[in-house]
Amino acid sequence: MSQPPSTNEVGGSGASTPPNGGVRPIVDSRSIGKSFGALTALAPLDFTVGPGERVALAGPSGSGKTTLLYILAGLLQPDRGELFLDSQAVSRLRPGKELSEIVGLIQQQLDLVPQLPVVQNVLAGRLGQWGLLRSLASLVSAREREMAYNALSRLGIADKIDERTSRLSGGEQQRVAIARLMLQAPQIILADEPVSSLDPARADEILALLTDLVEDSKGAVIASLHDPELIKKYFSRVIGLREGVLQFDIPPQQLTAPVLAALYGFDRDFPNNSAL
Amino acid sequence: MIWIEPPRPRPVSRFFETRRLLSLILVAALVWSVASVDWTGGIVHSGGGNALKDFFLALFPPDLSPGFLKLALAASWQTVVHAVAGITLALIIGLPLGVLASGSLGNPGRSRLAVAATVRFVLAFMRSIHELVWAVLFVTAFGLSSLVVVLAIAIPYAGILGRIYSELLNDVPQEPLDGLRSSGASPAKVLLYGRLPMALPEMLSYGFYRFECGIRAAAIMSFVGIRGLGYEIQLSLNDLLFSQVWTLLLFLVALVLLVDYWSTRVRRSLGS
Ligand SMILES: Nc1ncnc2c1ncn2[C@@H]1O[C@H](COP(=O)(O)OP(=O)(O)OP(=O)(O)O)[C@@H](O)[C@H]1O
Ligand SMILES: [Mg+2]
Repeated sequence: MSQPPSTNEVGGSGASTPPNGGVRPIVDSRSIGKSFGALTALAPLDFTVGPGERVALAGPSGSGKTTLLYILAGLLQPDRGELFLDSQAVSRLRPGKELSEIVGLIQQQLDLVPQLPVVQNVLAGRLGQWGLLRSLASLVSAREREMAYNALSRLGIADKIDERTSRLSGGEQQRVAIARLMLQAPQIILADEPVSSLDPARADEILALLTDLVEDSKGAVIASLHDPELIKKYFSRVIGLREGVLQFDIPPQQLTAPVLAALYGFDRDFPNNSAL
Repeated sequence: MIWIEPPRPRPVSRFFETRRLLSLILVAALVWSVASVDWTGGIVHSGGGNALKDFFLALFPPDLSPGFLKLALAASWQTVVHAVAGITLALIIGLPLGVLASGSLGNPGRSRLAVAATVRFVLAFMRSIHELVWAVLFVTAFGLSSLVVVLAIAIPYAGILGRIYSELLNDVPQEPLDGLRSSGASPAKVLLYGRLPMALPEMLSYGFYRFECGIRAAAIMSFVGIRGLGYEIQLSLNDLLFSQVWTLLLFLVALVLLVDYWSTRVRRSLGS
């Protein structure tokens, strides 16, 4: 196990056998890449994620984590390669209902509409299923309010249901975003730095909730975060990105200090890496 | 690359040079125009000074006789009705046009851009003609009716509101919109659940500001002969009844203050 991790350890084209014994991957990235002008935000990237996997994305600022998650969420088109979610090409899935049943994204407290009451932000998880008229009617008088209430009470903030969202604390807002995701109930949950602005206890809770959702639905979770302890506690696999290039794809136990130092680029100043 | 390019501060400094030059020209134009005014005669006609004095002295007291107050109240009511109808119609026209001009409806593509560009052109046309000019045009078409005031306010104001609203709808934070999209929301639902609620406080306060302008515009429509506060002001002025003019002006100020108070209340209740 001490051998250094190699690039593209898991993955490859769809022809190769999926990592966990014949089960079809629910995420299959075939050389997807993205550039912004001259800048290559993501080099062609090959990896697969199977059902039940909890994947952490690590890497320094600007390494392409958000870009990758946005592509996986179908919010950004890759310039090259093809992405398969649940064995379907994303380019051929209809945005809206079809895509939202497969994949959902939560961002660091930024994905809520601050001016809306909590209940409306939670019910937004149903927008992929609702027609336009129903969506409009629900803004006037909330439809399926019990669903929102149930999700919020599972998260312990049912009393906030009619509060204006901007009045909630950061941790509470993060729960509202999770409640929205519970109503959307996608197979694949993507989370962009879901805990970076939370205190350690709150971060622990939120990750427990997020990874729990996956066990419920036999889906997968892919989340970007930096804390190696949290990665080890809640994830089954960690992918390292640097300047848009995949550095490693390993089980969290192999996330040692030298590996982290190489990824984040503080190798020269890192005190414990004389072994490298 | 073989050599490293030296830093190029040039475009910036040149920009400032151009700006300084422009400012200089403007200041020179101002000095010249002030200097070229014939201060000895012409600008204030003989006896004008006395009229001005009479005008300000009439403020103490304004005409507060019950009969005239009743007339002022009726004229104010007339003006408010015109302004409310005009601004309401402006909103009914301007909001949907603003949404179209923002390009936030429909799937991305050429047709959406073409619609947005066309609507922007229409909005520009509507607001590039002053409300008084619209009023003159409509008087020749409909005669002296309230419809003239309402339309003359509604059309240019719809152009302004549509323009401003399209910008406000576009300038909202993008992350919540992405959040809605990832929940499966179509552009129309993103508009309903994201853009509108986020832009609403500013849209409201701009709408109120325009309402205020609408009251002034409705009052001034007397120049084309339509009744209201401005019409009464003109009549009193013609008869040199300055104390009546002051009463009417005070009513106008009161109306604007009332709108201001109302808009503050509404915005506070929205808790922005
Ligand atoms: N819309 C865009 N236009 C131009 N460049 C972009 C755009 N989005 C991202 N980039 C660039 O792509 C690179 C990767 O950005 P990305 O946001 O994916 O990094 P990240 O790993 O999420 O960083 P962080 O940890 O700071 O959030 C960065 O250099 C960024 O400047
Ligand atoms: Mg990021």
